[in-house]
Amino acid sequence: MAELLASGGSMEMVREAFDNGADAVYVGATGWSRRRSEYEMDDDAIVEAARYARSAGRILRVAFNTLPASSEVPLFFARTDALYAAGVRDFILTDPGLMMALKNRHPDTILHASVGCTIINIQDALFYKEAGASQVVAECRMGKATMRRIKAEAGVGLEVLVHATTCYTLLGRCTMSSYTKYGHRVDASGKDHFPGSPNRGGLCYRICLTDWDRVDAAGELEASGVVLPNRAYFLADDIPYLIDHGVDTIKIQGREYSVPLVGRMVRFYRDLIDACVRDRAGFRMDPWRERMARIVADRDAERREKTADLISESLDR
Amino acid sequence: MCLGTPYCRRVEGNYAEALDLLPGIVSRLHAAGKRAYVTTPAAPRQADLPHVARLVDAAAAAGADALEIHNLGVLRIVREKGGPVPAHMGAYANVYTHLAAAVMRDAGAVRVRPNAEVSLEEMAILAREAGVEVEVLVHGKIPLGVTDRCFLLTEPEESDPKCPSACREVHWLTSRRWVLKTVGKGVLSGRDMCLLEHLPRLVADGFRVFRVEGLYETAAYRSEIGAAYREALTRAFAGGSFALEDRWADVARRHAPRGLCNGYCFGTAGRTYVGSVLQDANPEV
Repeated sequence: MAELLASGGSMEMVREAFDNGADAVYVGATGWSRRRSEYEMDDDAIVEAARYARSAGRILRVAFNTLPASSEVPLFFARTDALYAAGVRDFILTDPGLMMALKNRHPDTILHASVGCTIINIQDALFYKEAGASQVVAECRMGKATMRRIKAEAGVGLEVLVHATTCYTLLGRCTMSSYTKYGHRVDASGKDHFPGSPNRGGLCYRICLTDWDRVDAAGELEASGVVLPNRAYFLADDIPYLIDHGVDTIKIQGREYSVPLVGRMVRFYRDLIDACVRDRAGFRMDPWRERMARIVADRDAERREKTADLISESLDR
Repeated sequence: MCLGTPYCRRVEGNYAEALDLLPGIVSRLHAAGKRAYVTTPAAPRQADLPHVARLVDAAAAAGADALEIHNLGVLRIVREKGGPVPAHMGAYANVYTHLAAAVMRDAGAVRVRPNAEVSLEEMAILAREAGVEVEVLVHGKIPLGVTDRCFLLTEPEESDPKCPSACREVHWLTSRRWVLKTVGKGVLSGRDMCLLEHLPRLVADGFRVFRVEGLYETAAYRSEIGAAYREALTRAFAGGSFALEDRWADVARRHAPRGLCNGYCFGTAGRTYVGSVLQDANPEV
């Protein structure tokens, strides 16, 4: 049966997600995932979260899914070695070089290719499989026919984001935020930090969500209020299909949401998946829609507030 | 010269789409003593892969000197075909580390263009450790994002009368203090990357492949900017003192209505300019 994977932006969120029925939870190693540090966890917290997961018979997956600087590679191994020694075996990576190197170093690790890999076709999936990934995250707009082919032909696990964001550009292939606001500093350990770049462990300021005008070469207005879509979606309707087609992991993003909201989302998906599996022939989506609509409304409200703050922050000097 | 566009197959005159035109243009470039590269789509969906396979075959048959590849699945297709054409990893291949570059090298890549966010210092490590050529963008719009839906059109591509003419025109996206350029399926920097005054450092650092990005620019842009860099690079390679010629600076400014920047080369935000000669075009610096 498909695994339900949820986000853990803090120890409290990790517990909330597991307690509400997540089969697995992913957390970001501080400085090494696609969120800023307030939504990531240090090694002690990760080890504690892994212990909590094991006690519940579940999985904790640790994201090291930045695209780092070459000089950071020794720090990457120091950090992953320490977590490995503490019993962590499940990692989420983006850089195919780090992936292959970590797999060679610790062959019993289980590596998943992150959404930042932008895997959009079966050949992509095969490339990351050869680099050491046992599972790949489907690009957010991947069609069902491609999913079917990857499941049937690639021999690699497939993870589908049912609750995430579709960016204006392909997620993992965008540097708009860092073009406008970016910084670079090296901390005492030698770790590079790049605020403004989600690819490098910083933050996406969602500048695509500001109000844009389009002007021509002469500066004449062609269109005002241009919307560059960056939508949070909620794909409950697709879940029966994903289950039927053997998708390995159904994933909910959202480390930046409030803990109670994450708990409600996880519980909603848990109940829906269980109901679907229990009585596939009789399963109907309609009874679930009202509960889903309330969660979507609360999710959108939290996201609007966060987006306004981020755009405002991106204008700070 | 790199033929074709990574953004859209429907762009008029896209050599990566008009496969029958490839042999002629490759021959003409070779006759002129130039190398011909062919770019592949940056974000090919599963349905695009048969075309990509045909493009690889056509480029090989035409005698192209390399394929520019932005997608690791495409690199794998080329490898499966026995590497009929050397692979250059393009801007969207997300090369950040020497380890990633080495994986791509082992899959057939001989050159990489690191992601725009990678600084010169990081590129030097990458070149030293990965055993591949590193291509440095020295001038032109920085690719910032790619999508597979055209945002210049109001109807589906197949039915919109503005396709493919819409992306032949210049379109800027403006908001607050920000200016970007859109080419429909691509987002580019508003300012032009310019490393003219930094060329001696690039040469001293050991870089030998320099790119002037002219995709979606005018013929005048390509020829005038290209000529300025040819002359400036010749001077930089000659050693000795290097001073920016006014005529180079004039050309750079004239073709950059939204100003100049030098990307992430020095570890700063992509639209800032670090330098002492041309920064007057960027009063925010």
